[in-house]
Amino acid sequence: MAKEKIKRPVDKSYWGIVKSQFRKNRLAVWCLRFLVVIAIIGLLANFLANDKPLYCKLKGETHFPVFKEMAVGLGLAKWDKQFAFADWKTFDYESVVWPLVPYSQTEMDIYNTQFVSPFAEQEVKSVQFKHWMGTDDIGRDVLAGMIHGTRIAMLVGVVSMSISSFLGILLGSLAGYYGDERLKASRISLFLYIPFLFIGLFYSFGVSGYTLSDALGVSIAAFLLQLLKCIFIFFLIMLVPYLLSKPLKRIPSLGRKVAIPVDILISRLIEVIISIPSLLLILSIVALAKPSIFLVMAIIGATSWTGIARFIRGELLRVRNLEYIEAAHALGYSEARTLFKHAIPNALTPVLISIAFGIAGAILVESSLSYLGIGVPAEVITWGKLLSLSRQAPEAWWLAVFPGFAIFLTVTIFNLIGEGLTDALDPRLKK
Amino acid sequence: MFQYILKRLLFFVPTLFIISIFSFGLSKLAPGDPVELRLKGGMQGASSGQLAEKQAGERAYIELSEKMGLNLPAFYFSLTSQAYPDTLYKIHRKYERETLSRLVDLYGNWPLISAYYHNLKSLENNLFKAPKDSLTYERSRAIKDLTNELYRTYEDYKIQRSLKIMDSLVALPATIIKDSVPVSEMTLAGQAPSVKAVVQSYQQMKREASPGKKYVPALHWYGTHNQYHRWLFGDVPWFGKNDDPTKSAKGFFRLDFGESYLDGRPVASLIGEAIKWTMVLNLISVLLSYSVSIPIGVNSAIRKGTLYDRITSTALFVFYSLPSFWIATLLVVFVTTSEYGMDFFPTYGIESQELQDAALLTRIGDWAYHLVLPVFCLTYASFAFISRQMRGAMVSVINQDYIRTANAKGLAKAKIVWKHAFRNSLIPIITMFASLFPLMISGSVIIEVIFQIPGMGKLSYTSLIARDYPVLFTILMFSAILTMMGMLVADLLYALVDPRISYTKKK
Repeated sequence: MAKEKIKRPVDKSYWGIVKSQFRKNRLAVWCLRFLVVIAIIGLLANFLANDKPLYCKLKGETHFPVFKEMAVGLGLAKWDKQFAFADWKTFDYESVVWPLVPYSQTEMDIYNTQFVSPFAEQEVKSVQFKHWMGTDDIGRDVLAGMIHGTRIAMLVGVVSMSISSFLGILLGSLAGYYGDERLKASRISLFLYIPFLFIGLFYSFGVSGYTLSDALGVSIAAFLLQLLKCIFIFFLIMLVPYLLSKPLKRIPSLGRKVAIPVDILISRLIEVIISIPSLLLILSIVALAKPSIFLVMAIIGATSWTGIARFIRGELLRVRNLEYIEAAHALGYSEARTLFKHAIPNALTPVLISIAFGIAGAILVESSLSYLGIGVPAEVITWGKLLSLSRQAPEAWWLAVFPGFAIFLTVTIFNLIGEGLTDALDPRLKK
Repeated sequence: MFQYILKRLLFFVPTLFIISIFSFGLSKLAPGDPVELRLKGGMQGASSGQLAEKQAGERAYIELSEKMGLNLPAFYFSLTSQAYPDTLYKIHRKYERETLSRLVDLYGNWPLISAYYHNLKSLENNLFKAPKDSLTYERSRAIKDLTNELYRTYEDYKIQRSLKIMDSLVALPATIIKDSVPVSEMTLAGQAPSVKAVVQSYQQMKREASPGKKYVPALHWYGTHNQYHRWLFGDVPWFGKNDDPTKSAKGFFRLDFGESYLDGRPVASLIGEAIKWTMVLNLISVLLSYSVSIPIGVNSAIRKGTLYDRITSTALFVFYSLPSFWIATLLVVFVTTSEYGMDFFPTYGIESQELQDAALLTRIGDWAYHLVLPVFCLTYASFAFISRQMRGAMVSVINQDYIRTANAKGLAKAKIVWKHAFRNSLIPIITMFASLFPLMISGSVIIEVIFQIPGMGKLSYTSLIARDYPVLFTILMFSAILTMMGMLVADLLYALVDPRISYTKKK
């Protein structure tokens, strides 16, 4: 006898409803699974395509060159002298396990240069070393480039969208929640903050301008370190007006509150950013600095937050008039707590839709940039770069088809997930 | 309504101001010297060592830099430190300016740095003035190269090294034949004092450094006679006659966009040439995509859930996700070359070489033939997007009560759809229509680059690569203005199609 299922009264959280709605969309669920696969390919790119073996036994010694390479990359270990510039394919191994694709993305196979087709006869040792997606003009394996390109694409999507959602949620919620009249500051603090803003900028960024630009020439990490230092100094200086204004606020004529038009300021900023064609904006910034994939990500993130900000602003304009926010005020919660713990989380779930579409957009922008050959350093292989190679050589159809298809697939997956989320969050379906 | 438009137009001002500051700042940060860029077309930079030639080159440089207004201070004011002189902009060469600014940053003592710089200049002049003979030629040439290097270096160890070499070169005796007896003589002794002056002033600069000055802020006010002001408003008087021949710029707001750094052509004429192709391209593609996508979107919304709807929705989604630069690349690879036996279309450009003198009709046919692929690539993407938006808006309208009422009272289907439902689902279409204005100006960079169409997208790409900032800024500013206009027009159209939206204040 089959046990009859007892129907419990469902008392699902908002998230629970969204999840179960999303699950109904089978296509979107499959996309999510496929996305996991792509993400894993991106994460494990070094193990999937590398010019060094995963494991090998050489003259009685066991080596794990790929792991060693990662340790060296992190600065934890150093290569032995004999391996530092070695071509691992020339050794006589006792036993060896090669990665799935025994080529790295930048390695040049000198026997297979000038666009060797996947179907053409290739000069390789065995089937294991075959170029399954052909090679480019200088003999780089296209499949290896595709695998490492996956990592870049994923990284671009995640990093730039993290930046843009952080900026968008922060600025949008400030604009929406405070509007033009709710954020108030005393006269004296305004009076103190504005001159100190200039002083702070002078001592943090003005004085160390050359240090900053030199650091940017060295590496992004060095630049970020310097930048953090400058920001720290800036905030240290901004403490002065804060501390000064504390006692002075007590004087009634100085302590009178003035409203700060946050909404107008942020809305103008959004208008400025959407008024400039984004690709041109990104192009002109990227053209100034040394090519770096992280700079590209940062700039994409810094220019694509306006959509999220506008959305959150609209949501919070609605939310801030709801009764529970009033209740939070009545309970004496601080503004920050009300905003970050109660108001923003309520408007956050729909942002997922923007993020899903945003990642697709970011990947597209990055591939167009590297297609145009701007902003991405020469040693980084991306899908866009591989695709652009096909323009020089129309006979290399594999360069036109595979990387483009990878871009298309990834963009489609994110778009479909975005669609699925849109449907799942649609209030009309919630009945 | 009028008040609303006025308010919106007033809001343009700060936005434009920020954008202009931003693009101007970018140009100042950009590496490379625009004057050198312009000069490169005319003459070669390397001089043969003649004083007259060097002076001529210097004069040409200064003249051009004055003509381009680059000898002015950059902005209305500058917030720097006490260490910086407020007249640094008067130094003509950009790299010299940068080196001096670096030195100020390091040592902070402007009078001594300036003395070092002037000593370096006089050493260079002396070298040029000195009579040329075969004995000193090599070495004076080497010292000249070193001075050139010193104009560009600020790192202590590099300067020390160059100065040391210079010193030893001067001290090096040469063997000359005097009265048929070889005698070693200091042939470069004449230069020794100037070299010594350079070395001494450098050492004094280092010794008496005052880096503390760097931490005292200083505000310099330059007034309206500056590069930014000149670029936007010009320096020619707005009314009345211009009697100062050094002033020639009319400024952005009087439609004088400056001259290209590359070939000295006016930016306006460059843009005028490019814009017609972008306009043609986008106009065709917009007309095509709107005329196809609106019926498709409306139809699939009416037949929501049917096979027709499902097929079109899927197809539209695929089109929407297809990156247009991939499709463009595929088309270029497969149907424009003979590689795969499908050489149907020209690979790039807008006209065939041999048809340039043909009759107008033939030429139009030729242009159309060249534009097929780019128009297709531009169209399919926007077509998919508009159709999906149209469908979405229509679906939400069709489920509303008043449509059911209209159905119930027996109105003709076509009338319900096109008169009642369509009008209310126009909002997203209008929003997109607004984005068309800037598209007309900025064009599609990537499609125009792939198909080598000499339109605005290609122009902005090439000017960016060549750092031709006057062209780039004009495009940036124009597209910003047009985007804002587009948004304003869209907001006004909203009120037109939906009477519930109103911008006049409720009483």
